[in-house]
Amino acid sequence: MPEPVSLTHAPAVYAASNAAAGDGTALSAEAATIRRSVSAAMESMEQSIALFGPKTEAISEILAVAAEHGETGWNGEGAEPISMLAVDRAVAFIRALPRSVSMPEVAPEPDGSISLDWICSRSRIASISIGVSDRLAFAWLDGTDQGHAVARFDGERIPSLILERIREAMGHAAVRAA
Amino acid sequence: MLPSGLPENVADEEALARFLMSSSHYNATMVKPAAFLPNPKARMTTSVFRHGAEPRESLIQIAGEQRPDVTAYGAAICKAVAVRSAKLDVIADEPPPLHANIVGWPVNGTDQMLEKAEQKRAALVLVSRCTLVLFESKAP
Repeated sequence: MPEPVSLTHAPAVYAASNAAAGDGTALSAEAATIRRSVSAAMESMEQSIALFGPKTEAISEILAVAAEHGETGWNGEGAEPISMLAVDRAVAFIRALPRSVSMPEVAPEPDGSISLDWICSRSRIASISIGVSDRLAFAWLDGTDQGHAVARFDGERIPSLILERIREAMGHAAVRAA
Repeated sequence: MLPSGLPENVADEEALARFLMSSSHYNATMVKPAAFLPNPKARMTTSVFRHGAEPRESLIQIAGEQRPDVTAYGAAICKAVAVRSAKLDVIADEPPPLHANIVGWPVNGTDQMLEKAEQKRAALVLVSRCTLVLFESKAP
């Protein structure tokens, strides 16, 4: 899995700032100011993660997948690079998910779309394709029941049909629950 | 008989390998549906090789030869019958040796998104019957 961007490096930045500032006795006021600023940023980030942790992680994963699959032919078969419009829509989708819904796994698709997958088990999966259109292709497998549909996402409200299928596929499992 | 020595028809019990060229195409336990979605640039087919999980060295060698510029993290292994149970088909397509294509992906000339949704459903059925094989220690 790709390493999530930005947030995962924050502790290292913090540690580096501490090292730069030393024990706070011998270095300049400038170093102390930097340390205070980084501490404030870290505190803010920690509050953000505490409040929105799973969504922040999911968004970070979307960005990482987009960065890792940003060139044509990433699969050796001429796959399209992940579209930035698809990234924007996928991030909006994550932000719009109710807190009670588990966060999805993320995967790139050969046409440049982003797949959001809720995988409970081999036979219980819901999967949504988010591309450049505001229409989302989705499919589900729930035991012997399976199906597919298309729904429009306005960027703010998740279509109820999609939410229903995600919840059914996950069986209200608390995997990475928001 | 094909140049590889395999019969032209892919039998139901034959194992197929779909190489995983993205570390995001699998999780700790299974292959994700995006790994099987058809390639729009290859007439809506999905490339596979007629090879099982073993011998592993041979599988890894094929992956290296066919996709030298891209890292193969592993392979999804399934039987041809699993492809057919998803209402798709698999046909031999040599060269290269052992190569085949999953074909018959749903096509909808009037609604591209509905077409994609139908393809996704077939990919879900397919991954539910696949085994994940990782090369070296490349767990996600």
